[in-house]
Amino acid sequence: MIIQILLIGAVLVLMVFFLRNHGTTRTAAGVKIGFVLFILFGVLAVLWPDALTVVADFVGVGRGTDLLLYGLVVAFAFAMVNTYLRFKELELRHARLARAIAIQSAEPPALDHEGENVPTAS
Amino acid sequence: MSDYDDVWLIVPVYNEAQVICDVVQKARLTFPNIVCVDDGSRDASVSEIRKSGAHLVRHPVNLGQGASLQTGIEYARAQPGARFFVTFDADGQHRVEDVVRMIDRLRQEPLDILVGTRFHGDTSHIPWIKRVVLKTVVALSPRTRRMKLTDAHNGLRAFNKTVADDLDITINGMGHASEIMAIIDHKGWRVAEEKVTIIYTEYSMAKGQSLINGVNILFDSALRSSRR
Repeated sequence: MIIQILLIGAVLVLMVFFLRNHGTTRTAAGVKIGFVLFILFGVLAVLWPDALTVVADFVGVGRGTDLLLYGLVVAFAFAMVNTYLRFKELELRHARLARAIAIQSAEPPALDHEGENVPTAS
Repeated sequence: MSDYDDVWLIVPVYNEAQVICDVVQKARLTFPNIVCVDDGSRDASVSEIRKSGAHLVRHPVNLGQGASLQTGIEYARAQPGARFFVTFDADGQHRVEDVVRMIDRLRQEPLDILVGTRFHGDTSHIPWIKRVVLKTVVALSPRTRRMKLTDAHNGLRAFNKTVADDLDITINGMGHASEIMAIIDHKGWRVAEEKVTIIYTEYSMAKGQSLINGVNILFDSALRSSRR
């Protein structure tokens, strides 16, 4: 079936592209354009369900609603990956901020009058 | 003065109040410079570290072991006279003798980094499930095999200033071990293994990372390496 090739191919290509280029302005813009297209697709699908079925028939899916569902699954997966990567990025910034604070307020061991470390008490 | 004044031990600490003072004091008999990175412990770890004679760096929030290592390395590499660095576990799993051997080897051989391995010689002291999982991890990683490493997840590593200055661990959690391997490979550092003995006490077994965490590590590594 054409749909299987299309779906799997789309997921693989997008995934690789996305993970390679995440964080660039271009990708961010691409994601937004993709989102708008997806909304448009949704609106058109509601307005002309028959047209969707024609497309669905063409790619080998039984009904238009099924095609819509497949599209939704793919879009959801990308939204998840996007969120995950963004969280990772934030985590890293957060860690670097915390690290800067930690190093600034580091405590060297207490020194005695000879400048040697206080002998370990045990 | 000691022969190991230019060596810094980096010890990430998270809720290790029971053992940390003892571990640091034992290591300080040989290595005078130790930095403990407290990763937001909720027990008495901080006051135990203050007692131990180690330098204390405190994360204001819990970040993870990878982040703690990076913090410790950044602190240590900025210290005057620091030439060699060792990542050392807080739970008493590592032996000071092993570190001494690693540092001596780094001084003599043209190497940038030495990684500990549990898999040379007798492995009967390693719990069998760990043995199987660790072997599987290595078998699954073409990179580790190419670098001829047998134990990618050993926490005991010794390296020189070149490595310390350039190391930038971005995985805050447990996936940092694979990340370090990836960075070594990427930068082309000269790496070798050193046979070490891990002391599996009841305490360290209870504290050690659970095997299910391997799922998290695999996931993080997969996403990261595709970005690199």
